[in-house]
Amino acid sequence: MSRGCYLALCARPVQFEKANPVNCVFFDEANKQVFAVRSGGATGVVVKGLEDKNPISFRMEDKGEVKCIKFSLGNKILAVQRTSKSVDFLNFIPDSPQLEYTQECKTKNANILGFCWTSSTEIVFITDQGIEFYQVLPEKRTLKLVKNQNINVNWYMYCPESSVILLSTTVLGNVLQPFYFKGGTMSKLSKFEIELPAVPKSSKLSLSERDIAMATIYGQLYVLYLRHHSRTSNSTGAEVVLYHLPRESSCKKMHILKLNRTGKFALNVVDNLVVVHHQDTETSVIFDIKLKGEFDGTVTLHQLVLPARSIQPYQIPVAGPASVTNQSPVPCKLYSSSWIVFQPDIIISASEGYLWNLEVKLEPVVNLLPDKGKLMDFLLQRKECKMVILSVCSQMLSEPDRGTLAVIATVFDKLNHEYKKYLEAEQSYTMVVETGQSRGNPLLKRPVRTQAVIDQSDMYTHVLSVFTEKKEAPHKFTIAVLMEYIRSLNQFQIAVQHYLYELVIKTLVQHNLFYMLHQFLQYHVLSDSKPLACLLLSLESIYPPAHQLSLDMLKRLSTANDEIVEVLLSKHQVLAALRFIRGVGGHDSVSARKFLDAAKQADDNMLFYTIFRFFEQRNQRLRGNPNFTPGEHCEEHVTFFKQIFGEHALMKPTTF
Amino acid sequence: MAAAAGAGQEKQLAPALLSFFIYNPKLGPREGEEEKKILFYHPNEVEKNEKIRNVGLCEAIVQFTRTFSPSKPAKSLHTQKNRQFFNEPEENFWMVMVVRNPVIEKYHKDGKPVIEYREEELLDKVYSSVLRQCYSMYKLFNGTFLKAIEDGGVRVLKERLEKFFHRYLQTLHLQSCDLLDVFCGISFFPLDKMTYLKIQSFINRMEESLNIVKYTAFLYNDQLIWSGLEQDDMRILYKYLTTSLFPRHIEPELAGRDSPIRAEMPGNLQHYGRFLTGPLNLNDPEAKCRFPKIFVNTDGTYEELHLIVYKAMSAAVCFMIDASMQPTLDFCRKLDSIVGPQLTVLASDICEQYNINKRISGSEKEPQFKFIYFNHMNLAEKSTIHMRKTPSVSLTSIHPDLMKILGDINSDFTRVDEDEEIIVKAMSDYWVVGKKSDQRELYVILNQKNANLIEVNEEVKKLCATQFNNIFFLD
Amino acid sequence: MATGEPGSPTREGMALPQEQAGLCPTDTEGDEPSAGPEEQEELPAPQSNGPLRAADGQGDAQEEPSDKELSDSASTDNTLEDSSEFGRPLGVVACEPGGPLAPPTHRDEDVTAASWRARRKHIFVLSEAGKPIYSRYGNEEALSSTMGVMMALVSFIQSGDNAIRSIYSDDRKLVFVQQGPLVLVSVSRTLQSEQQLRQELLYVYYQILSMLTQVSITRIFERKKNYDLRRLLAGSEKILDRLLNLVELDPGFLLGAVRCLLLPASLRDALGTLLQKAITPNLVFSILVARSQLVTAVQERAVIEECRLEPTDLHLLLNLIGASSAFQAGEIWTPICLPRFNPDGYFYAYISYLDTECTVCLVLLSTDKESFYAVSDCKKRVEEAMRTQGSLQVLSGGLQSPSYGVGQVGVPDLRHFLYKPLDIPENYRQLPQFTSPELEGPYCSEEEQHRLFDLYHYLHSRIHSTSRPLRLIYHVAEKETLLAWVTSKFELYTCFSPLVTKAGAINVLTKLLRWIKKEEDRLFIRYPPKYSTTPNPGKGAKGSRPDGAENGFFAGL
Repeated sequence: MSRGCYLALCARPVQFEKANPVNCVFFDEANKQVFAVRSGGATGVVVKGLEDKNPISFRMEDKGEVKCIKFSLGNKILAVQRTSKSVDFLNFIPDSPQLEYTQECKTKNANILGFCWTSSTEIVFITDQGIEFYQVLPEKRTLKLVKNQNINVNWYMYCPESSVILLSTTVLGNVLQPFYFKGGTMSKLSKFEIELPAVPKSSKLSLSERDIAMATIYGQLYVLYLRHHSRTSNSTGAEVVLYHLPRESSCKKMHILKLNRTGKFALNVVDNLVVVHHQDTETSVIFDIKLKGEFDGTVTLHQLVLPARSIQPYQIPVAGPASVTNQSPVPCKLYSSSWIVFQPDIIISASEGYLWNLEVKLEPVVNLLPDKGKLMDFLLQRKECKMVILSVCSQMLSEPDRGTLAVIATVFDKLNHEYKKYLEAEQSYTMVVETGQSRGNPLLKRPVRTQAVIDQSDMYTHVLSVFTEKKEAPHKFTIAVLMEYIRSLNQFQIAVQHYLYELVIKTLVQHNLFYMLHQFLQYHVLSDSKPLACLLLSLESIYPPAHQLSLDMLKRLSTANDEIVEVLLSKHQVLAALRFIRGVGGHDSVSARKFLDAAKQADDNMLFYTIFRFFEQRNQRLRGNPNFTPGEHCEEHVTFFKQIFGEHALMKPTTF
Repeated sequence: MAAAAGAGQEKQLAPALLSFFIYNPKLGPREGEEEKKILFYHPNEVEKNEKIRNVGLCEAIVQFTRTFSPSKPAKSLHTQKNRQFFNEPEENFWMVMVVRNPVIEKYHKDGKPVIEYREEELLDKVYSSVLRQCYSMYKLFNGTFLKAIEDGGVRVLKERLEKFFHRYLQTLHLQSCDLLDVFCGISFFPLDKMTYLKIQSFINRMEESLNIVKYTAFLYNDQLIWSGLEQDDMRILYKYLTTSLFPRHIEPELAGRDSPIRAEMPGNLQHYGRFLTGPLNLNDPEAKCRFPKIFVNTDGTYEELHLIVYKAMSAAVCFMIDASMQPTLDFCRKLDSIVGPQLTVLASDICEQYNINKRISGSEKEPQFKFIYFNHMNLAEKSTIHMRKTPSVSLTSIHPDLMKILGDINSDFTRVDEDEEIIVKAMSDYWVVGKKSDQRELYVILNQKNANLIEVNEEVKKLCATQFNNIFFLD
Repeated sequence: MATGEPGSPTREGMALPQEQAGLCPTDTEGDEPSAGPEEQEELPAPQSNGPLRAADGQGDAQEEPSDKELSDSASTDNTLEDSSEFGRPLGVVACEPGGPLAPPTHRDEDVTAASWRARRKHIFVLSEAGKPIYSRYGNEEALSSTMGVMMALVSFIQSGDNAIRSIYSDDRKLVFVQQGPLVLVSVSRTLQSEQQLRQELLYVYYQILSMLTQVSITRIFERKKNYDLRRLLAGSEKILDRLLNLVELDPGFLLGAVRCLLLPASLRDALGTLLQKAITPNLVFSILVARSQLVTAVQERAVIEECRLEPTDLHLLLNLIGASSAFQAGEIWTPICLPRFNPDGYFYAYISYLDTECTVCLVLLSTDKESFYAVSDCKKRVEEAMRTQGSLQVLSGGLQSPSYGVGQVGVPDLRHFLYKPLDIPENYRQLPQFTSPELEGPYCSEEEQHRLFDLYHYLHSRIHSTSRPLRLIYHVAEKETLLAWVTSKFELYTCFSPLVTKAGAINVLTKLLRWIKKEEDRLFIRYPPKYSTTPNPGKGAKGSRPDGAENGFFAGL
């Protein structure tokens, strides 16, 4: 791959028989299907979709040249337009009448410009005089007119994703009338006017459908208008104007994408990016309306995010297994005039019989966007961003192009901002579910975790642990980075996972920076947890104060009394242990044997005497008798006691 | 010196420095050249033979005590009139400090003064640590004795000793030494995690952009927040900053933005940053960029550093850079332009946070008790007894005898390293409580004179619960 | 401390026959051709041995041996050396194979060995000339150089018109005391305070005085700066050795009080009256002791008008007796100085054990050296009466079992205590007393006892600190919890389990005090008996009584 081409044609295109005099090729935007109709269908029709592996193929008798051919949603019914007056139908539903049936357009001497399916049994005819909305009744082999609207139409455009039909009306054709189809109804949206570059002298159609596209960007429907030269004379070069088309309320001009060039263009929308192809230079540019542009109070002007690059060179795969035909693959001609571009991301080369999805490649972007902050903003909006983002992080931490702490900080903040947004959504969702408010709330759905959510374990496994492992950076920097990440997490009030703390501690210990560690703990930068406390304990041998630090931590946890006792006993601090447990009021329940054992190991008769007496008195207090019960298993200790201090030293049962 | 005259014609004289000398027996082993042993002697006026005699006595005492414990020779000599403290900070280099016992001067009817020495007043531990600090402070600014000799022989060492101690001894105020001198601890500034992390990343960024900086320390309100230096070096540097450098600079920010001090330094009106060491006015091309030199890790890597202290409002940062590079005026300007604004912002953040925390904890009202806390592990120190510890005087809010009782308890604690607790009732009916848990020591003075042992214990428990609930402090 | 000048007793014309006071001094005069009047009075001196013989059943032959002695001493040229004879009564005694209480001697210890350095406490006594007089461990000769250094230090600092007090190292205290011509040095690893060590050194000094008196020592060194005092103390090292072992483990020395034998008040009173009856002129003190615990002591009324019998003197006296088994045979009549009473004068002590096990001992002090027979007769009467009373069996019998255990108080957390009452009637003229239970349980081993008494010493030094005295100390220490408490009514030191709570401790305390109140009459001599033997015998005996600064040590009495 070369010089950072960030656009590419998909590796597995849909291949079909090239268009030629006997074979006409049609594309249905709704089902994304390619129809190869050989000699009017008599010699067969082959339908290939993007998704479905095995193509549908059938024959139909040749009733003259096919103008347009489309399956209803789910391939139930096939509609074929052969004349400008009528459309023929053919059921593909199992055991239902197979005979073709025909529907003529209602409006007298109107010509059908085309039709489009809005569901499996609903179809819209667009004529030069209006639109007609029909319901198809396959078993009756008839259609029922649901609604129709008279209006002069220059041309129309259908956006399946949003099932909105756009009609170009008026002489100039720059007044667009959108219709919205939903559940057997057709609703008329408020019409709007596209500002033409210059008010044309002659009153002829001056807005061609080639310059208009419809697409959903970031969940919103936009009408994209390719304005070949700016209205403001000063700025040369074409621009794309985005009109936001909300279902209710009127359409509004929102964004202007500056192309800074002229010539033949084509639009695609990929991964919420507006891609503008320029045939003359055989390059494309992309725009991201989420990125900051200059806002003039009404519209936002966007410059290109990246320098123009042509689509990645593409080799046409040679049919058949390589063994049979081992000639090298042929490079495909890009930006050829035979290309037809469909929304959102489809490119068809009828002449060569290929259908591609256009794809955005993120790796090349990394090097084309020096500003790491902007880069993150860009990447975080992309579908397949995770691995790229992580690689960017690792890259900015290591030579040659290590980022400054300031930059690293911004990147961390951007990541964690996204991370926090998800956590909050997640949290409020579970809150709602737990509090049982979920019922009667259809809108509520679990928040989707996009790739843009880079959590601590991602950072740990892919970036930080690797980075600390390879130790090429000076430890000062390593620690600074770790602290920066922890800082950022804290700033967004995200609970830090203890393995990050472990990483910090490990690094500090490796470089004997114990005093640093001590200070961090002193200010509770490394939050308390049992695992952390245990880690500290393990450091005691190399750094004695760690003992105190871990005890403090255990105490703060307040759920670790047993651990504290164990720690103290392990250091033969039997008295301390007993005083502690008494302090928390557990001295009546602790095992005498445990403490006696510890005292005995301490090999200090005085201590043993003290402990032994303590429990004798406990027995006295609890049971009115100083002797140990067999259940306490202290026989050996009793013997030991006698043997050192004598029988008489045993406490006598007292009464007061 | 002379405390207010007590009842009748009674005058009390505080303890005073009689003499202070440094010698090395190996330098004048033979008869007749004893004088060579003496590296420094204060007061210098003392007649030569007198010096020799006194040094001789110290040698004799040390030798004599070795006959009983060869490895642990004398630390102090008590006589009727004074006490001498011995310290051998480097092999064969002995430092001796002679302190006169406090004196009561009574006057008979006939007006004859009667001198009475208070032999039990001085606490050995306090003055021994004062002597040790003398060395640490010398070492901080001059490096080890041995190093001086390597550099230029005995002559150089003598010069450095003279130069340093001549001034330093003036700043020893023996009458106001107490337990805090034993601890020689560091007061840490209480801070929430987030602000602390902000400071961390500030420091890291500064060290990144001023790449010749080797270590950094960060203080607020004369309290430490971060130290890149090792504990022991920081300990003495902290003492220097808080008892010597900071007090010498009045706070311009107290005077507000348009204070005369501000006016004197135009150019950086957008921030409050200024150098406490080095150039005063950056716009003066002649400005000198001379910074004090300090020596750290002397028993390891032995590093020599320039000490740059830069302050904005109550926040002070110490940048330490390797002595091999000479910081230029440009560097100082750069530092000022980078650090100044950020530090100013940070300082006000901290101040804000601090006030918030204060309001939360609501530590306004005066409690029933005063206390001193010290943790040997991190040298953390906290005292509500000392209003302010300046070099000249430590204002304690309690009677000196109570302070001495604290000292007694402290030395009782040092005998064993087990946890201990001591509660005493003084003749003045004050209760004094000492607690030792692991490496921590807490001393509390309660003035509920007619409380009983159990009530006192409850009070202390309360104190621990409020002040030290986040640490493991055995009851 | 003010060294009483030798002449003083004479000038004050004390009731004691001058030669007694001058006894030693007269001997020391020997080398002077022009001897003072006392020179003649020298004769009686050896007679102090007479009774010793008499006790050996040669009473009848008593005069001539004394003559022989006389001629002996006369024949030998009067050099100081001869005066070592003086020491004989004690010397002879001490030379006897050490009795059960006699400590092992460490004279032949290698002073360069680590074991020697490691000793808990060294005690050195030397003369101003730096001449060794006594060392607790190792023989003095080997230490003469060390002692030389000590003296050098002392005099060096003296030359600066100053006085050396002590030297502190990390693990030791070296304390210096100068008493007249003697310098005493203690090198200690114990917890004792400087003052306490100084007090111990004074005990040593007083013990020496009890044998030689102050005047004589002063005289000796006036005559001969580098005189070797060991000649006079020959054989009495055992007494000092024993004293030093005692001082560390017997609270009596620490508290300046004597321990009374646990007795029913009735019996004690009976014995008191008994002693009161058995008197003779010039008898000033009658003391009945059982195993170094005081049974009862009767004092001459007139004498105690002047001053009471100091516990120190009693301790030293008892130590002296205990140090030798010789006293266990028959009767002893020996001159003895009670330094706190009068450092320059002699009493005559009649010492005799009343039972074969040598547990019960009667000590009668007279000011009349001639009154041996009279005093001996008193003893017979006492013995007689006791036999008829059958109290002797009670005493000796009672001693088979230890005085009492702390268990009797009946509070489990209590391990041990020292209690010194300050509310005894006529306290000021009483022998200060104290009580404490037997050491048992964990405190059986010697080092544990040393540890405990170290702690008591520490508490005592803090609560009685000269500069910063305290009312109360509660110390949760490493192996026990301690409490020291001084009120107008008592002085109390208690040792609890380290796990006792404060509330628990207070509770124990109230119980303990209640118990002591209950047992008061058995624990202490409440109403000390007195008698009058002569119009005013005490007067002179008081002599120039030193009011040494170390009295301060007994502050609080």
